[in-house]
Amino acid sequence: MATVEERVKAVTAQVLKLDAEKIKNEHSFTSDLGAESVQSIELVAMFEEEFGIEMDEDAALSVETVGAAVEFVANVCKEQGVEVQE
Amino acid sequence: MSQAKKKHRLVDAKEPNLVEDIFVHSLPPLIRFEGAVIENIDGQAVEFDFAGIKDRPIVITDTTFRDGQQARPPYTIDQMVHIYDLLSKLSGPNGVIRQTEFFLYTRNDRETLDRCRRLGHKYPECTGWIRAVKGDFRLVKEAGLAESGMLTSCSDYHIFQKLKFRTRKECMESYCEVVDAAFEAGVRPRCHLEDITRADIEGFVLPFVERLMEMSEQVPEERRAKIRLCDTMGFGISYPGAELPRSIPKLIYKLNREIGVPSSRLEWHGHNDFHKVHTNAGAAWLYGCDALNTTLFGFGERTGNPPLEGAVMEYIALKGDTCGMDTLVITELADYMRSIGLPIPDNYPFAGRAFNTTSAGIHAGGLRQDERIYNIFDTEKLLGKPARVAITDKSGADGVAHWVNEFFGLKGEDRINKIRVHKLARWVIDQYEVENRLTAISDQELEAKAKEFFPDHWEKCKAGK
Repeated sequence: MATVEERVKAVTAQVLKLDAEKIKNEHSFTSDLGAESVQSIELVAMFEEEFGIEMDEDAALSVETVGAAVEFVANVCKEQGVEVQE
Repeated sequence: MSQAKKKHRLVDAKEPNLVEDIFVHSLPPLIRFEGAVIENIDGQAVEFDFAGIKDRPIVITDTTFRDGQQARPPYTIDQMVHIYDLLSKLSGPNGVIRQTEFFLYTRNDRETLDRCRRLGHKYPECTGWIRAVKGDFRLVKEAGLAESGMLTSCSDYHIFQKLKFRTRKECMESYCEVVDAAFEAGVRPRCHLEDITRADIEGFVLPFVERLMEMSEQVPEERRAKIRLCDTMGFGISYPGAELPRSIPKLIYKLNREIGVPSSRLEWHGHNDFHKVHTNAGAAWLYGCDALNTTLFGFGERTGNPPLEGAVMEYIALKGDTCGMDTLVITELADYMRSIGLPIPDNYPFAGRAFNTTSAGIHAGGLRQDERIYNIFDTEKLLGKPARVAITDKSGADGVAHWVNEFFGLKGEDRINKIRVHKLARWVIDQYEVENRLTAISDQELEAKAKEFFPDHWEKCKAGK
């Protein structure tokens, strides 16, 4: 089973049409990876779908980097009883 | 300007001050005044008490069927009767829209008047409009009207260049003969001082009005001459310090306080040639005219007249109360006018299809959080038109979410957040980025997509409707 980090990067690569290998934890979704407003919404929606979770809209949209997203998603999974590989 | 005279300390707060005593939201924002307003007239500082308007019996009058018809093909009789009926509904039991005027020259004019009166409404009262011709009062009397407007143009442009009088005296005598004929016919004359903002005020207007006041002493109060100040070309100026003849404050002061025409017999009629029409109208109310003459949606000769619906909102803002008016009728009137071919621009205040529609995503975000941020007042309650979002590439997910929630009528906890509208938001963006679209997306297109992306809400909504 892929880790949360791998899955977050895979979703990010798919939504932003990037190479997953080149995405780093310290990358900012907007300034480094070029996510536009609607793409930020799509990222949150796709994370929810990928992990089967529901995230608070404002909190999720305030996450800035890939690494922070990995942490945020892992925490939500834990809170909502979704098993993941950390 | 570089030296600060007063220090201003930040008043920190954890709770917002939304200034709700003015921005009440359930009504248009209130207009409040502090202190007297000063105008220098003939070397004297003259005070005006604007705050006193709350207790003055100000009214709106209407000329949709007279001046309003001079700017478009004639209305049919049925159309005018329907509009009159709606005007009465808007006016309410207190008669805020007090009068409306009719031509009397053709058989159709007279039939329209008869049919409007047969509706039995108390307000707006029906009055006439005739040329300054003695014989025309026969028409007014035959129609059984108590009051009629008559042309008494007062600038030399009209007196000499248009009407070809040889002298001002000859002109004044001619007008006074017609006023006498009105008194004899038992009709109240409403003298329309056409082109007053280009007239010789001291040399003609004041002596003429003084004479009208003297003549009026021979008749009971309810038949005494009214004075309509007609800013025929829109030259009037509301700014303090402006000179006569363009100064609205000075014009009204001279008639009201020097000649002694009571406010109840003073009426302002403006035109919009310089985009000043509504502000000038409001100023006329404040400086002492009780009646403000208007047309629906401002339609009138050339650039139009003070818009009636603007006067309605101004009235509420000044009085702090709707005083019985049914403002929802404004939307009904706008829909009706559009249905009979009267164009109302989409961005036209209070009545345009998109007057409270934003297409900026950032504004839509504000609307989503608190409608008051980007809606001028509770437009759903007063006009039956909730704040809306037009969807373009600038709308963002916020705008799309607002549209979806409004469309499905979702409130509070039931509202769909912007994460859930991402597919529709993507479709919108692709319309512009992939399909190279240049126009806004219509409601019909969005409805089709809403059905596709939110089938459950669609079914519920359909069942509810």
